[in-house]
Amino acid sequence: MRSKLSFLILFFSALLQQAVAQDKVSVKFGSVSEKDFATKIYSIDSNANAVVIADVGSSQIEGNSKGGFSLAYKHYKRVHILNKNGYDIADVSIPLYSNGVDEEKLEKLRAITYNLEGGKVVETKLDVKNNVFKDKINKNLIVNKFTLPNVKEGSIIEFEYSITSDYLTNLQPWEFQGAYPRLWSEYNLSLPVFLGYVTLTQGYQQYDIKTTKSANQSFNILDTRGAGASERYNFTAEVSDGRWVMKNVPALKEESFTSTIDNHISKIEFQLSELRPPAFNYKRVMGSWDQVADELMKSEYFGLQVTKDNGWLKDIISPITKPTDSKTDKARKIFAYVRDNFTCTNRDRRTMDQTLKNLVKTKNGNVAEINLLLTAMLKYVDVTADPVILSTRSNGVTHSVYPLLNQYNYVVCKADIDDKTIYLDASEPNIGFDHLPLRCYNGHARVVNKEAQAIELSSNSITETKTTTIFLINDEKGNLTGSLQQTPGYYESLRLRDRIKEKGNEELQKEIKKAFGSEIVISNFAIDSLNKYDHELGIHYDFDIKDEKEDIIYLNPMFGEGYKENPFKSAERFYPVEMPFAMDETLNLQLEVPQGYTVDELPKSMIVKLNEEEDGMFEYRISQSGQNISLRSRIRFKRAYFLPEEYEILREFFNLIVKKQAEQIVFKKK
Amino acid sequence: MLKVTGLVFSFLVSSFSALAGEGDYAVSNISAAMLAKANVVKRMEQISFEVMSNGEAIMRKKYALTILNENGDRQAGFLEFYDKLHDIKNIEGALYDAAGKELKRLKNKQIIDLTGMVESTLIDDSRRKYHNFYHKVYPYTVQYEVEIKYYGTLFFPVWLPREDENFSVEQSSISIISPVNYTVRYKAFNYSGEPALTTDKDKKTQTWQIINLPAIEDEYASPSWYEMNTVVLFAPTDFSIESYRGNMTSWGEFGKFVYSLKQGRDQLPENVKEAVHRIADPIKDPAEKIARLYEYLQKNTRYISIQLGIGGWQPFDAKYVATKAYGDCKALTNYMYSILKEVGITSYYTLVKAGRNANKIITDFPSQQFNHVILSVPLQKDTIWLECTSQTKPAGYLGDFTCDRYALMVDEKGGALVRTPKYGLKQNLQSRRIKATLNAEATLSINAFSKYEGLQQDLYHELIHGLSKDKVKEFLHEELDFATYDISSFEYKENQSATPSVEERLDIVVSNYATITGKRLFIIPNVMTRTHRKLPAVEERKFDLELGFEYNDIDSVEINIPEGYMAESMPQPASVNSQFGKYTSSVKLSGNQLFYYRNLEHYGGRFSASDYPELVKFYEAIYKADRSKVVLVKTETQAPKGF
Repeated sequence: MRSKLSFLILFFSALLQQAVAQDKVSVKFGSVSEKDFATKIYSIDSNANAVVIADVGSSQIEGNSKGGFSLAYKHYKRVHILNKNGYDIADVSIPLYSNGVDEEKLEKLRAITYNLEGGKVVETKLDVKNNVFKDKINKNLIVNKFTLPNVKEGSIIEFEYSITSDYLTNLQPWEFQGAYPRLWSEYNLSLPVFLGYVTLTQGYQQYDIKTTKSANQSFNILDTRGAGASERYNFTAEVSDGRWVMKNVPALKEESFTSTIDNHISKIEFQLSELRPPAFNYKRVMGSWDQVADELMKSEYFGLQVTKDNGWLKDIISPITKPTDSKTDKARKIFAYVRDNFTCTNRDRRTMDQTLKNLVKTKNGNVAEINLLLTAMLKYVDVTADPVILSTRSNGVTHSVYPLLNQYNYVVCKADIDDKTIYLDASEPNIGFDHLPLRCYNGHARVVNKEAQAIELSSNSITETKTTTIFLINDEKGNLTGSLQQTPGYYESLRLRDRIKEKGNEELQKEIKKAFGSEIVISNFAIDSLNKYDHELGIHYDFDIKDEKEDIIYLNPMFGEGYKENPFKSAERFYPVEMPFAMDETLNLQLEVPQGYTVDELPKSMIVKLNEEEDGMFEYRISQSGQNISLRSRIRFKRAYFLPEEYEILREFFNLIVKKQAEQIVFKKK
Repeated sequence: MLKVTGLVFSFLVSSFSALAGEGDYAVSNISAAMLAKANVVKRMEQISFEVMSNGEAIMRKKYALTILNENGDRQAGFLEFYDKLHDIKNIEGALYDAAGKELKRLKNKQIIDLTGMVESTLIDDSRRKYHNFYHKVYPYTVQYEVEIKYYGTLFFPVWLPREDENFSVEQSSISIISPVNYTVRYKAFNYSGEPALTTDKDKKTQTWQIINLPAIEDEYASPSWYEMNTVVLFAPTDFSIESYRGNMTSWGEFGKFVYSLKQGRDQLPENVKEAVHRIADPIKDPAEKIARLYEYLQKNTRYISIQLGIGGWQPFDAKYVATKAYGDCKALTNYMYSILKEVGITSYYTLVKAGRNANKIITDFPSQQFNHVILSVPLQKDTIWLECTSQTKPAGYLGDFTCDRYALMVDEKGGALVRTPKYGLKQNLQSRRIKATLNAEATLSINAFSKYEGLQQDLYHELIHGLSKDKVKEFLHEELDFATYDISSFEYKENQSATPSVEERLDIVVSNYATITGKRLFIIPNVMTRTHRKLPAVEERKFDLELGFEYNDIDSVEINIPEGYMAESMPQPASVNSQFGKYTSSVKLSGNQLFYYRNLEHYGGRFSASDYPELVKFYEAIYKADRSKVVLVKTETQAPKGF
């Protein structure tokens, strides 16, 4: 009884302690003591190479001397490095943006490494003057880099800095999660009511603390830009202080069949929506999709180039199209022209960096420029065409409700011809008319026109269909001889085209020969539709099997086309499975029983369904009729996206496929 | 004799002017021989490299490339690196269509300036200038001209007219201009004859030129690039870089220069001296001392690459490393050198060309051919080699990054070439013992013990030191050659020595390892050591084969199979003997147990091009034997017949 009671008391006091101790971050810059080194293995992750003890950021708005407002960002981080594999966290990169005139400023940088030497804490400071290096990546991006000195196994490192930015659109986002586990991750944001930002959060972790308070803050703005005396504004405004804290956040691990890990990381980001400072004119920065699309269409760096009178396009268009061409033919010719004559040098850009006229001169440009040129040219010949903005798979999903332009990194073109909607991407070298690269199938996308219509480019909506047909008969000499015809899916065809362009047709043939080995001789190898980009390829060849006339012949009727490996390797899964497309793969085989042999054993036919809805189906039908054996093996997936709960059956499903497709036909000599 | 040289030269000059002017780049002028197998044709190239008397130099280069198809596009751009010791003065360019008509000229604002750094470097001063016309109507021709100022003469250019595979050359030349009393050294490969020499007052010019070099294609395991191409390497006699001077006429002299860069940079702070003595003084055996001090280095420093100006060649001093606890290969090697010096052990700063498949250095042409520094410590019996950038390697072991090659060992007296250790067939051993049980559902439970030695342990060393336990498990989950499997347990043990080894114990459950049909059971007895190597048959091999390190894999496998089966088809024992190695494998069934044995000895070294078909056969025979199946049938049961 007594022991039980004391246990209870202990339990409560532990709870209390926790509640008290864990409301505020327990560490601060510069105060590290011996006991901070005591933990060698953290319970959050016994395998961790380093543990982030605290990662705390804050952003607030301040008046500046340029007649406006600046963002003041502060970042503090403390890390316990447990072993050598955690040393990379001591290399720090701080990217700063510049538009060539105004530069973001890095200030108040301090960094210290602490080591426990002979029971005492020894500090080594970063020499900020000599050991912080600037790497100018390009004209808009300068990365400040440093590494902490005297880092050893067991070191604690700390750094803090501020960034002042005049770009109100660059309000720093916060990632609560990263490559190492974090014990305390916190972001504070203080925003005056006259600035509106939309907040977006994502991830699977819960906030431990999430609060908002209101307070008053005074703002001082100085304007020294004019020729006369500088002007000064002072005012007080209500600010709202938001605070988000996550504790004990595990490290993030990337798994296969994930579009991007960024879709799953716990983070919070902001997009400027309204500017309405007192004494200044109210300005709505972010409106509805209609307004945003309208502004985009009027923007010099986007729609204006498409909608204005582009009379100069005549010189380009008239040599490639005939006035008598149908609209579809015109569109096809213009699309092929843009695709074949321009090189895309940046596939991660939503706005133009040069005019269309300049693009035509330099012959290279970003994806927005190339597809806006396509749009402008289509409009010029009276084809209804509009730009579409989207976020590629590797860039993460977008929110259809908010027009958060920063999330969009890609532009394609939508054309409507004879009641048919067609999507075009002229930035991709080998792609066909009315096909988009796989990277574009990432859910919500937005047409930039008056209606600002939302469209859904879902990977579930594309089906990769592959068909293989094999015939095998006995020739006069009693050897098996046959032919294979294969139509790979569209995206496999695209990949093969890219490879053939790079390595040549012979290389592909060599690889097929290599796979078969010297016992199967391949002849009459040919690939059809190599330059018909709208269509799948056709691959066909004949083959002869060198016969060894053994007493028993074991033959796998899949002829190397089956799955030999389960694509789902790991035993468990934490995120949804994002396959690039749905699929439908069929192999048909007609086989004559080798002369002088009889069938001793045939695999059994089977049909497996992934679930009741038949979202996945595997069919293996084999039968013998007289001297002929026919096989049909088909795998079909109706969708590409699967929940983590479905992972186990998905893995088991492929396990069955691999098993079945490994089975052999056994022939015995008569 | 003189007359002849003069004649040749005047011919060259006139041909240059014809090609180098607003020449005719019409594609119709290219001969069929130059078009064969080519994506790119170099129409002309004229390089001049002028050595000034004060240790500066200027390189002027003009060249024109005809791009025949899309695969040539990657050669069409202009790219030059620059840094504190190299300045790009001027870039010009023009684009021509297939008829040779000029379409466009380069405008300076179109040149892009970017960082030249690689990911693994914290900071260096390398930057790039890039331009491309992005023309897509084939064929087309680009012409570029550039002038680069060299501050410092440690490096001279390399003349390599044929820059890539599927790349032919109509004409290329290089002229080396120097004061008459200054000798530029050179080493030519696949170039017949001597350079043309002219003298004009106080300057002399030597010119090499080549015409009509057809395109070649890359081959598997081909030898060093200079064996397959016309190449001339150049190097200085006397040279200078920043305030340092040197001479490169012998390895001895070059070694002196390298030593001068690090001279006097070996002062350790007092606390490090004390620590070093505390470790070393109680130990008698010098090898043990070195090992313990190497551990101290590994524990107290890490690799960080900072290369700025002369810092690309000169190590940070020992004090810097002691306070920052980091450095690059030069700094860390010099630091270890200083530590050993403090306890009276002599060691040598040693330059090496590192890389798993790095080209061999040219031993009879003293020049800066190195990219890495290691430390050698000669003892009475043998030499201990230390890779000072590694935090995990055992003292004395180099691995395939630096083993088995010539290296330049330096001290105050100069430099000398030495050979780093080679690991042979018996040292690079992988031995594996497997005990496994197959159940009636065709699931195989495997217990595998593998020991990796020598160069075969390099991967596993990286695995256990570079990845957390979770990640190792992930690796094993992805990398093993089974269709569907789970790792139920894994364990690694490392034996650190001069030829280290790693022991691995795995428990794996493989679903459907065997195929069980109505009455038959198919199983591959080679469970875990199946090679994937297959080579394409090639009609005509041009160049010799250069195979990597030699190794030996030994496997023994024991599989318990379900009761009631007998052999229907057993693979015949395989035995392949070739100059590339020996392979044997055999399997037998005894009761309900399968016993499999496999031994592969794979030799390394150089083989003649005509032996290539034999290598294809060797690999194919192994590939096939590794996958041969045992077929078992159910022994006749007393099942009632006649149904």
